[in-house]
Formats: sequence, structure tokens, C-alpha cells
Amino acid sequence: MTAAARVEEAVKEYGAGETRVRALDGVSVEFAAARFTAVMGPSGSGKSTLVHCAAGLDTLSGGRAWLGETELSGLGDRELTLLRRERIGFVFQAFNLLPTLTVRENITLPLDLGGAAPDREWLDALIDVVGLGDRLQHRPSQLSGGQQQRVAVARALAGRPAVVFADEPTGNLDSRSGGEVLGLLRSAVDTVRQSVVMVTHDPAAAAYADTVLFLADGRLVDTVQQPTAERVLDRMKALDGRRGKAAAR
Amino acid sequence: MNASVRIGARSLLAHRRRLFGTVLSIVLGVAFLTGTMVLGDTLRANFDTLFADANAGTDAVVRSARVLDAPDVPGGIRAPLDESLTERLRTAPGVSAAEPSVQGAGQLIGADGKPVGGQGPPTLAGNWIDDPKLNPYRLAEGRAPAAPGEAVVNRGAAKAGGLEVGDSTVLRTPDPVRITVVGIATFGADADGMGPSTFTALTLADAQAHLTPKGSGQVSTVRLRSDSLSQRQLVDEVQKLLPDGVEALTGADATAQSTADVSGRFLSLFTTLLLVFAGVALLVATFTIHNTFAIVTAQRTRENALLRALGASRRQVLGTTLGEALAIGVLASALGLLGGFGVAAGLKALFAAIGFTLPTGGTVVHAATVLLPLLTGTLVAAASALVPALRAARTAPLAALRDTAVDASAQGRSAAVRKAVGALVLLGGLPAVVVGATRGPSLALTVGGALALLAGTVVLGPVAAVLAVRVLGAPLPRLRGVTGALARRNAARNPGRTAATATALMVGVAVVTLFTVFGASVKATLDDTVSRSFAGDLAVTAPATGAGGSGVSPKLAPAVAALPEVGTAVGLGRGAARIDGHGARLGVADPVALARVTDLGRVDGSLADLGTDGLAVSRPEAEAHGWRLGSTVQLQFTDTTAAFTVRALYAGGGVAGDYLISRPAWEPHRVQDADTLVVVALRPGVTVDQGKAAIGRIAAAYGSPQVQTRAEYAESSASGVDTMLSVVYALLALAVLIALLGIANTLTLAVHERTRELGLLRAVGQTRAQLRAVVRWESVLVAAFGTTGGLLLGALLGWALTRASDGAGTGSFALPLGRLAVVALVGPAAGVLAGLRPAARAAKLDVLRAVAGG
Ligand SMILES: Nc1ncnc2c1ncn2[C@@H]1O[C@H](COP(=O)(O)OP(=O)(O)OP(=O)(O)O)[C@@H](O)[C@H]1O
Ligand SMILES: [Mg+2]
Repeated sequence: MTAAARVEEAVKEYGAGETRVRALDGVSVEFAAARFTAVMGPSGSGKSTLVHCAAGLDTLSGGRAWLGETELSGLGDRELTLLRRERIGFVFQAFNLLPTLTVRENITLPLDLGGAAPDREWLDALIDVVGLGDRLQHRPSQLSGGQQQRVAVARALAGRPAVVFADEPTGNLDSRSGGEVLGLLRSAVDTVRQSVVMVTHDPAAAAYADTVLFLADGRLVDTVQQPTAERVLDRMKALDGRRGKAAAR
Repeated sequence: MNASVRIGARSLLAHRRRLFGTVLSIVLGVAFLTGTMVLGDTLRANFDTLFADANAGTDAVVRSARVLDAPDVPGGIRAPLDESLTERLRTAPGVSAAEPSVQGAGQLIGADGKPVGGQGPPTLAGNWIDDPKLNPYRLAEGRAPAAPGEAVVNRGAAKAGGLEVGDSTVLRTPDPVRITVVGIATFGADADGMGPSTFTALTLADAQAHLTPKGSGQVSTVRLRSDSLSQRQLVDEVQKLLPDGVEALTGADATAQSTADVSGRFLSLFTTLLLVFAGVALLVATFTIHNTFAIVTAQRTRENALLRALGASRRQVLGTTLGEALAIGVLASALGLLGGFGVAAGLKALFAAIGFTLPTGGTVVHAATVLLPLLTGTLVAAASALVPALRAARTAPLAALRDTAVDASAQGRSAAVRKAVGALVLLGGLPAVVVGATRGPSLALTVGGALALLAGTVVLGPVAAVLAVRVLGAPLPRLRGVTGALARRNAARNPGRTAATATALMVGVAVVTLFTVFGASVKATLDDTVSRSFAGDLAVTAPATGAGGSGVSPKLAPAVAALPEVGTAVGLGRGAARIDGHGARLGVADPVALARVTDLGRVDGSLADLGTDGLAVSRPEAEAHGWRLGSTVQLQFTDTTAAFTVRALYAGGGVAGDYLISRPAWEPHRVQDADTLVVVALRPGVTVDQGKAAIGRIAAAYGSPQVQTRAEYAESSASGVDTMLSVVYALLALAVLIALLGIANTLTLAVHERTRELGLLRAVGQTRAQLRAVVRWESVLVAAFGTTGGLLLGALLGWALTRASDGAGTGSFALPLGRLAVVALVGPAAGVLAGLRPAARAAKLDVLRAVAGG
């Protein structure tokens, strides 16, 4: 099976000299196509950095990154922009929507930016699934946090990108709203074979995924297939323990 | 709809309150520009149609070809013609009518005993032309003058002087002529006059007696019309009969020339002056607008970053921001265009208020008058937004996730570059200004240096802002406690923003200061001229400016000299000649007597020996031309060119001017004789009051010119400067207003931006009053910074301009501390006003919403 996206020996360093931080320390990861991959790890382990670099929002200091067959390292700002517009969907933890546009306009924003006509049927289906049909003309500020994140997911899916990246999309939500957002992502994988990569701290959220990758100190330390919340929690504890021992030593 | 356009339009609507200040700045600037242009168009068109209409019946004009350009006389001074020429022309083939025309200067005295007009526009006198088709004036009331002493005055002058048919008054030519008004005339069909000028028409004999050098047998021009020939044919026909030195031109050409004399000289100067102030206002607006866009863009960094993350290209973000600016520019310019018509009316009222009534008539608007302000306003908006838009386009997609809006303009690498560039420009500009002002002096170098200084100041602004706020705000914490400390820190925390806000005010204040200093220096120079060179006790003058007035009767000086109270009375006449290719003013006087009542400084050679072919020249002028005692100088008069010998040199810069010739030398070349000044020295023991009263009694018989003490004379020669300054202040008020709007706007935006912070302060117990005070003091600090910078820059440039424009090196420099102190106080006080609205908005914040909201 081909990977929807992958990085090889990825290194990302911030700052210089004394204040240099190595956020990614030679990671190699594959995000499988038509699968739901969760990325987990302690705070500061490099999860956000990894997905940013994989999504073309940031560039690696070393190593290589691919989106499908396209290598990102060689691309300039223009190409990266087009790539993000056409082949990537992104959901942030917060502030996903332009406050001045309506819900509908926010959903079609990447399509509008490219001047592409939206696929109406797909869009209607999406809006239906998201369950915000009666809120299309509202402004983001008139929606709850959960509703806003659902709109963000709908936008990420609207252009049928190669991969949807989501960085803690449910981090600010209660478990019910979070469940709705995760359900949306899951059903996209199941129904239209959407590839999804999601960063999360929540074992319950990770349980929606097909695969869970564990990062620590900028390295890939573990992988769990077909996770359940319990298994993820156990694995996290085990990793914590190892880290604790490492720290003690 | 295109996505960029939609996003731009949406954010425009969403932020319309924030952009209010920007819109207003553009509206005001464009309105002023439009007003100026509409006024210019209207005046020009009115003059054009007026002249064309009034002269429609005249097919040809015959006049002397010898003309002297004189600084004060539109169209120059022309030699007179022999009256007999009229008779010969009357019988020329094709000529249906020929009428002599005599023109000269004549100032009417109004019913209240005060002179009518004379402050700029010409005060004219002439003969009433009997053929109505050849006369540009038409009788509106009464009849034409038929007997000696009868006169027709134009309707505008009659209104201004309160004169009616049947009234008797005096016309100064400058010899007083008693006249009875027998008719009132319009210029053309229904204009009150030829623009704001006054005109008094006498009988031909009267006009010749008072306005021509010989007193009879001379005319200024002959006007012709033909029923059978075209204008061109008529001119060709007439040309054959004319003696040497006399020319004929078509009526159309003559009209075009008089129009050009008025529009070309007066109107261009007038509109250029106004355009300069419109330019200053727009420059200030540019800073204000730039600032607004910079802040709004910074506040929108997250939105722009999100757009970039979702695949908006740099160009799309750039387009959105620029498009927004363009939309604002077009909208505000359109509003400004409408406002411009109001401004045109306001400007007219402003000039009327200082006694300079502009001709009335329908408003005229050319396409350029609509397009240029629209384009300028839009361009100003777009150009102001360019740098912020470029910055917005460079937003990193990941900025959406980070806390942003850190102003690094006063620190870091870009700050180092900024400091270096600013210092370089400043270091280049300062010497240029100083050298331009002192060596040379060179106006071009000074202006170039001044521009560099301004640019350097703008670049260094953020660096200076930190320093200035620290210094100016130093007493605040002690005076106002925490409130003061917060205000000071707020003003310093965005140095780039503070600097840009203050720069707008700085430019405004700098220009105000520059004019104040320059005006004071001009006044000091005039004052100095009088006190240095005026050795008499009293002066008799007929105050007038520009082309107005007719001077003092040359017969007055001898009459005053005969008074028992008077020791010496010398009339200083005004002559004109072309010297070395330029029109020059000649002082005409008894040089020896003049030397007794004025201080000519060290005199080389002998003033007593001027005779009829001798010339006394001021030393700087002689040096400029390379003349010494004994040099021969060609003086071209209206009638002939004569060789004069330089027989005396004297110190320059005094009341005597640069050239002096004797009365007998001027006599054969004179046009219409008038003295500009009679200097009187009283006999020992006679008080100034006694002398003034005695001379006043005599002067009444000579058209009542003013009798002034030395101090009064000095004061009145400088009075024009004050009038000019008040106009300049009124025109600059707009620029300052725009700058203050900028401060208010920046603070409003800052308050909006600091909503959470302010809410927190309120939550921990800061009162509304304290919150208001913080914002207000911040405003005062910014205004104080701008005012201080403006004062320093303006004073420096005022000094440079004074020195640079003083080629002879005889001028004085004065720093009007009183007026500058007023500016220094008004600036920060205006800051309080500018801070009112933002302070009120800050105080209205709802604590909970402020803390929770985002
Ligand atoms: N712009 C930046 N400049 C400097 N260091 C950074 C920057 N962004 C991230 N880092 C550092 O890189 C490391 C990895 O950060 P990253 O945001 O990828 O962690 P994370 O796993 O997403 O953490 P969290 O779970 O808290 O979101 C951290 O040590 C962080 O401090
Ligand atoms: Mg993270």
C-alpha cells in the first residue's frame, strides 16, 4: 500500500546557538492512504512540528518529506501554497475560521481561492453530515466551539484533499462535541477513503484511528494498530515509565 | 465573486468603524484638493468668458510696441501713443470706428473716506469710451461722463465704497481729482467689474490730464472695429499706416493677452499656493492612513496566516489588502470630491474675509478636476497601504498559531538597518540645509536637504519615539502614579506606531512652525529696513499691495516741506526701466535730500553729481552686476534707451531700494507720476504729534494719504505678512486636523487591540476614570512628541529658508518665541481632545466581555 504522506530522516531545528531546539530528531514516518492515523506523545515531543512539515506549512531543516509522489523539500512558496490549497486539508486546535465570512463561505474558502467550482453534491452531503444546514449564513462568532470545529472539518474535506491534517482538533471541546468531530473524520475515512492524520493527547480520540504513532523527543518511539482507548493508555503509561527511568538514570 | 475580492469586501464591512479615521483623512484631503481645483477652474473660466464678452466688439487694438516688464503691473508698462493716430485710423480703409483709450492707476476714496480696494488687484482709471461696442464696460445706471470732473465707476467699486450716482468723492491719480459719480457700469453684460479690480472712467480730456505724462495729446491704446473686414484683415490693413514702434493686434489676441495676464500671473500663483497646502494635507493623511493600515493588518495577522495556511497565495493576500485600500480610496475620494464643492465656497469666503473678494459666477468643473483628486485620493490610499499589504503577504502560515504582533521596529536587525539608513540620510540632509542656507545661498540645496531631513526623521522616528516618550513622559509617573506610568509604557510599547502617528502631526507642526518663523523673519527684515535706513520722523504713504493703489501725489512733498514745522520732506518716486534684461524699480528722488532723511550707509562717489545721466546703485546690486564707480549702464525706458553712469554706491537693503536717479533724469521717461513714500524730518523742537497734525491737514488736500510715525510705518509695511500668515494658518489647520484624527484613530485601534488587557485592569480594580486617563495621557504624550519634533524641524527649516532666500544677505532672522510657545502648548492640548473618543470607548468596555472575549 502506498503512503498518502511520509517523512524520511526528518530533522527540524528552531533557533540557533545556545537556544537551539531540535523538535524533530531524524523521524521517518509513513501515513497510510485511506487510513486514519493518530499522532501522540508528551507535550513538546514534536507532534505539531511533524504535521506542519508534512503539510507544507513549514519546511524541514534536514531529511525529506513527500505528499504522495511529490517531494516537498524542493518546492518554493508558490508551489507549497498551491499544494496546500489543492491537496491538503488542515484543522487547527482553534481559530480555524475567518470571522468575517459566513459558515458556507468558510467551507468553500480553499476552493474559492483556487477559483474552482465546488462539487455541489459532495458539498451538500458534507453539510448534511456536519449537521449545520440551518447555520450556513451565520458568522463563526455565532457558533459554539464544537460547531466551529465541525465547520473546520467540513472545510478541510470540501476540496477532497489527498490528506487531512488535524492538530488537536478536539483539544478545546467537551467529550460530546469532540465525539461529533471525530465521528466526522472517521466517516470520511470509511465512506470516501479519505486519508486523515490527527494529533491528539486524548486516548479516547486516538481510539477512532486505525493506527497510533507515538513520538518522544522528536523521535518515533512506538506504533499501535487498531487501538482502543485502554491499549493506548497502557502504552502511554509504559512510555512514561520508560522516560521516567531514563530521566532517573 | 472572486475570493480575494469577497474577503476584502467582507473585512472592509466588518472593520468599517476602525477605518473611519482613514476614510475621513482621505475625504478631507481630497475635498481640499478638489476645492482648490474647482475654485481655480471657476475663476479661470469666469475671467475668460468675462474678458471675451466684454471685448467682443473690439476687432483690433493699436498700442506701443515698447513695453517694460514691471513686477507689479500685469502686462507691463507701455509707452503712450500720440492722440493724432486715432484720427488717421478712423479714416483708414475698413475701419468702422476708432476710439482712443487711456489707462492708468487711480484709487477711489469711498463714502467713508477710506480707499476702495488696493490690496492686491489693480485699481484702474481711464476714459469712458463713447462707442458702446468698443467699450468693455456698459452703463448700468446714470450716464456717461460729459463734463470735467464727471466719472463712471464700476459696480463692484461703487458697492465696496458705498458710492451712488450723484455722490462726490476723490480719485487719487495720485493727485487728488474731485469727481462726481454720474454713472455706474458693469464689466461686460453683468459682471461687477473686471475681476476684483476697480475702474473709474473720466472724460478723455480728464483722463489725459491726470493719467498721461504730458497731460494732453497722448493715449494708451486705440481700439478699432470693422463691419466689413475680419479681425485679421483689419490688423493687416491698419498695420500699413502705423509708425515705427507701434503695433496692431486682433481683438481676440488682445483679449487672450489680458486673460493670460490675470490667469497666468495671479491665478496660477493663487492656485499653486493652495495646491501646496492641499499637498501638505495629503502628505499628513498618507502617514495617518499608512498607520491605520499597518495596525489593522497587524491585528489581522492571524486571519492572513489562516488564509495562507489554507492555500491563499501571497498575491491573493496582497490583493485582498490592497483591494481594500483601493476601495476605501475610491469611496473616500468620491465623498471628498463632493465635499470639495463646499470647500471651494469656503475658500472663497476665507479670502473674502481678509478683503480679497474673488469674482463670482457659475461653478465650473473640468474633467481633470474630477479625475485628478479621485486618482490622487485613491493612489494615496493604495500607496499608504502598500507596505502593510506587502507585510501581510509575507505572513507565515504558521503565524496563525502563534501569538503575534510584536513590533520590532526599535530593536533587532531591521532596527539596526533603520538606524543606519536614517542616520545617513539625516547626516546628508543636515549639512545640505546648513550649507545651502549659509554659503551661496542656494535655495535648491536647502530644499533638497530639507527633504532629506524629513525623510531621515521619518525613518528614525521609531528610535526617537522610545527616547522622546521616555524623556517627555518622565514626570508622568510622579504626577499621575500608576495611570501615568501605564500611559508612558503604552506609548513606548509600539515605537513604530507611535512614531508614525506622531510623524503626521510633526509634519503639520513643522510646516506651521516654518511659516511662523519665516513670517516673523520677513517682518523683522522689514522692520530692520525701516529702522536702519529711515532717519526721518514721519512717513506719508498710501498703503497698497500688489498691483493696487496709486501712490502719493508728487506735489505733496514740496507742500509738506514748506510747512514751518518741517525741516526736510523728500518724496521717493517710483520709476521703471529694464536693466541688464530685467525689469527693475528705480527710486526717483532728490538724492542729496534723501540722504538727509534716510540712512544710505557709507556712500562712495557723490550723490550730488547724479545730474540727468547719473545713477546711484546699492553696493550688493553693483557687485552682482560687476559695476563700479564710473561704469556705464544702459537703462531701457518705455520711450528710449539711455546710457547712465554709476556715480554713487550706497548700502543696500534700505527704503531707497537698489537704484536711485534724480527727478530731472526720470522726467522725460515718466509714465504716470507717483511717489511711494514721503519721508519727513521735523524741525528741532517740533513734537511728532504736532508735526503729524500739521502734515495731516495738508495731506487732506492731496487725497488724504496716511501720515505715520516711524514705528507705525514699520508696522504697516509688515502688516501684509500677518494677513498672509493668518491665511496660511487657516489652510494648515486642515493638515493638523488630519494629524489629530490620526492620533485618535491609532488610539482607538490600540484600545480595541488591548481589550483583554484593559478588561483585566478593570477587573483588578482600575476605575473608569483611571482608564480614561491612561488613554488620554498616552494621546498627550504622542502629541507632545509630534509637536516637539515639528517645532525643532520647523524652526531649523524656517531658519534655513530665511537664510537661503536672502540672496543679498541683508535680511534678519527672528524666532517668534511667543507664537512658538503657543504652538508648543496647543499641540499636547489637542492631544487631549484627540484622546477623548478612544478614552470614552475604553471606559465603556464591559469587564467580563473584555476578559472572556477574543
Ligand atoms: N517556532 C518555534 N521556535 C522555537 N522553538 C519551537 C517553535 N515551535 C516549536 N518549538 C519547540 O519545538 C519542540 C516541539 O514543539 P511542538 O509544538 O512540535 O510540540 P508538540 O508535540 O506539538 O507539543 P504540544 O503537545 O504541547 O502541542 C518544543 O520543544 C518547542 O518548544
Ligand atoms: Mg502541538
